Amino acid sequence: MPGFFHNVYAVARRETRRLIHQPMYLVLMVVLPVVSFSFFAILFGQGAIRNVPIAVLDQDNTTLSRKVVQMIDETPTAMVSYGIQDMAEGERLMREGKVMAIIQIPAFFEKSILSNSQTHLENYVSGTNITVNGLLSKDIQTAVTTFSAGIQLQLLMKQGLTERQAMAQLMPVRFDKHVLFNPHINYGYYLAPSFLPMMLMIFVVMVTTFSLGTELKLSTSREWIETAGDSVWAALIGKLLPITVVMFLIGLVMLIVNFKIVGTPLNGSLAMILVGTLFFILSYQSISVLIVSLLANLRLSLSIGGGYSVLAFTFSGLTFPIMAMWEPMQWVSWFFPFTFYTDLFVDQMLRGTPWVYSLPDLGYMALFIVLPMLCLPRLKRVATEEKFWGRL
Amino acid sequence: MSRFSKQIASYWQQTGAVIRNEFHTIFTDKGVILILVFALLIYATAYSLAYGSQVLRNVPIGVVDECRTPTSRALIDAFNSGPNTYVAYTPTSMEEAKELFHARKIYGVVYIPSDYERNLYGGEQANVAIYCDASYFLMYRQVFQELVTSIGQTGAMVEFQRLVAKGANIPQARATTQPVIYQSHNLFNPYLGYGTFVMPAIIMVIIQQTMLIGIGMIGGTWREFGLYHKLCPAGRRRMSTLPIVVGRALVYALIYAVTCTLVLGLLYRLFHFPMNGDPWTVGIFMVAYMSACIAMGIAVSTLFRYRENSLLLLLWTSIPMLMVSGVSFPREGIPEWLYNLGQLLPSSHGVDGFIRVQTMGASTAEVFGEIKWLIILTIVYGGLACIGIHQVIRRELKQREAACAAEKGRSE
Repeated sequence: MPGFFHNVYAVARRETRRLIHQPMYLVLMVVLPVVSFSFFAILFGQGAIRNVPIAVLDQDNTTLSRKVVQMIDETPTAMVSYGIQDMAEGERLMREGKVMAIIQIPAFFEKSILSNSQTHLENYVSGTNITVNGLLSKDIQTAVTTFSAGIQLQLLMKQGLTERQAMAQLMPVRFDKHVLFNPHINYGYYLAPSFLPMMLMIFVVMVTTFSLGTELKLSTSREWIETAGDSVWAALIGKLLPITVVMFLIGLVMLIVNFKIVGTPLNGSLAMILVGTLFFILSYQSISVLIVSLLANLRLSLSIGGGYSVLAFTFSGLTFPIMAMWEPMQWVSWFFPFTFYTDLFVDQMLRGTPWVYSLPDLGYMALFIVLPMLCLPRLKRVATEEKFWGRL
Repeated sequence: MSRFSKQIASYWQQTGAVIRNEFHTIFTDKGVILILVFALLIYATAYSLAYGSQVLRNVPIGVVDECRTPTSRALIDAFNSGPNTYVAYTPTSMEEAKELFHARKIYGVVYIPSDYERNLYGGEQANVAIYCDASYFLMYRQVFQELVTSIGQTGAMVEFQRLVAKGANIPQARATTQPVIYQSHNLFNPYLGYGTFVMPAIIMVIIQQTMLIGIGMIGGTWREFGLYHKLCPAGRRRMSTLPIVVGRALVYALIYAVTCTLVLGLLYRLFHFPMNGDPWTVGIFMVAYMSACIAMGIAVSTLFRYRENSLLLLLWTSIPMLMVSGVSFPREGIPEWLYNLGQLLPSSHGVDGFIRVQTMGASTAEVFGEIKWLIILTIVYGGLACIGIHQVIRRELKQREAACAAEKGRSE
């Protein structure tokens, strides 16, 4: 056993030298991850989405119609930027990308309200961006409902009801709304915990594949195995360990960016997040080893590994829930450790789930660390037989 | 033959040679084929499959019913009858609901207090409490919307009945219950499908990214093995890089014309993505977008010194590029300067314009602003591509000369 540790140490020393001498490692392990984290920190710095331009077609043009337009304008999301004369003009503005919604107030709007007969208000929202659509629809609906409730209140009070009675009359069922974990619907809170780990993952895959693949490309892999005293385990651990350490430190930078700069809350267990991050990095390193062993080709491994890591995002269910996907697609989501890591991350960061509930996620990630190791005999063959070297 | 026509003829010849060489390079290199030809098809299909179901329905929720009366059960039925939620559990206490929640069995909880029916029939206001999980945006939106609508409808029904009971006539009661009918219409994507929303943007970004990485891989390979000078006809004194850039661009354009037709023609139909664009407008727009992407691809490719570099250095940029185009993360939330910086990328204009043409049916005139920008980017990146290739070839020739001289020196 001491021999084993000696071998691991020898390879780790060799690897550290390589990491220092090839500038690509510095770029992949430090420069680009930090650049990408900064990008998302800046992107989400603004937080809420405000003042989306909309157009208003006011065919009534009375005090009440102007009142409702003003109430819509005062909502956080909507901003009335255009007053238009007909729907054709509004449609053109929408196709030119200048407005996201058109509000139409019909003629006799005020007159109908004052004479106690029903009128209507139409909202045409573009569905091309469902995020903006969701926020805009909700805000405009709230504004119109508030406006409408104000009218009802006045009507009922005119009939001699007290304000309390009138309120009970116009809203017989009241609800207390509790928006859990992200009360202000900060869009950054949704996206930061998905994109930041995504970047970490891409660089873990790239750097691990690169460090293994270049041994084959430059025909140095036999020397690598020999440094480890011909033990493929020692060779692999010694090689991956320095990368794991650096990437885990970068993972800490990611967590700092997430919690301190983007400012997401930390409602659960930090220890669980740290263990999860370590497992996450190890699982993707392990998968990279599998890919290089099977393909024995640096560039092809990078293509496949890269393609695999980019796909993970879609199947993680962070933006489009897994529950909503077709069933075979739900199975696909099990092939990515990212799915389990983001589950754990969201649970521990936002939802404050007791840590026991995240243990299964850790378990699945552990499977992704262990299972690819079955390819080690193949790795040894690839690393020692010359026919696998120097491939493009 | 005049000097001018001689020049043209020689350009023509050179372009032909470049095209042949490029086809040979691409189709003898599996790595390049994978990225330039198949990646777009594979990714577009994979993402379409993932988003194919388009909408989230039937999110499980839990209701804690302390009232247990026909009235409260009617409210539960209202939650069940909507398309977006179903009452999967009726836990007996909030504690139990919390456990279900942490186990991800339910994504929302409604608490109906024991005095619900009494208040409702006593002419008082009845209270219910709703708890929505906002840690997933879509989940939150569907649950919240359904709960609020159900409660609102139940309330309106009660109000209406009370008014009629007091002797109001039906139109009057209706007008008092709801003075303003609010109707919201979702244009271009009536059911707010997720695929319809993101796929046009994703396809545009994949086109640009596969071009950048694929062309970058060719450039990196050529530089790694010193093959650039082959693009320059032997014995030519003055180097002309324009035919090289044009020739290469034509080859890429041809490949993408085929794959894009497959994606926009076949895949779009298979997955029922909206095709409201006039085919000519779509064609014109795609030509402009493709030229800008190719010009940028060639310009960037001269920077890579090794075969694998484009993949190592560019893969991660896909998501940031999708973000700055203002789709997944709305434009209004992006800092102004970052958004403006993003305008240097063809994808920012491409995504915006393409959605408007293909999803919203905009005419060429309505996306003229985007097309203009794409042309400007083509010219700028095309110029940079010429300069880049010129530099690379000059450096390569110099190195060869130096190597030749050294060789000669040694042999003498």
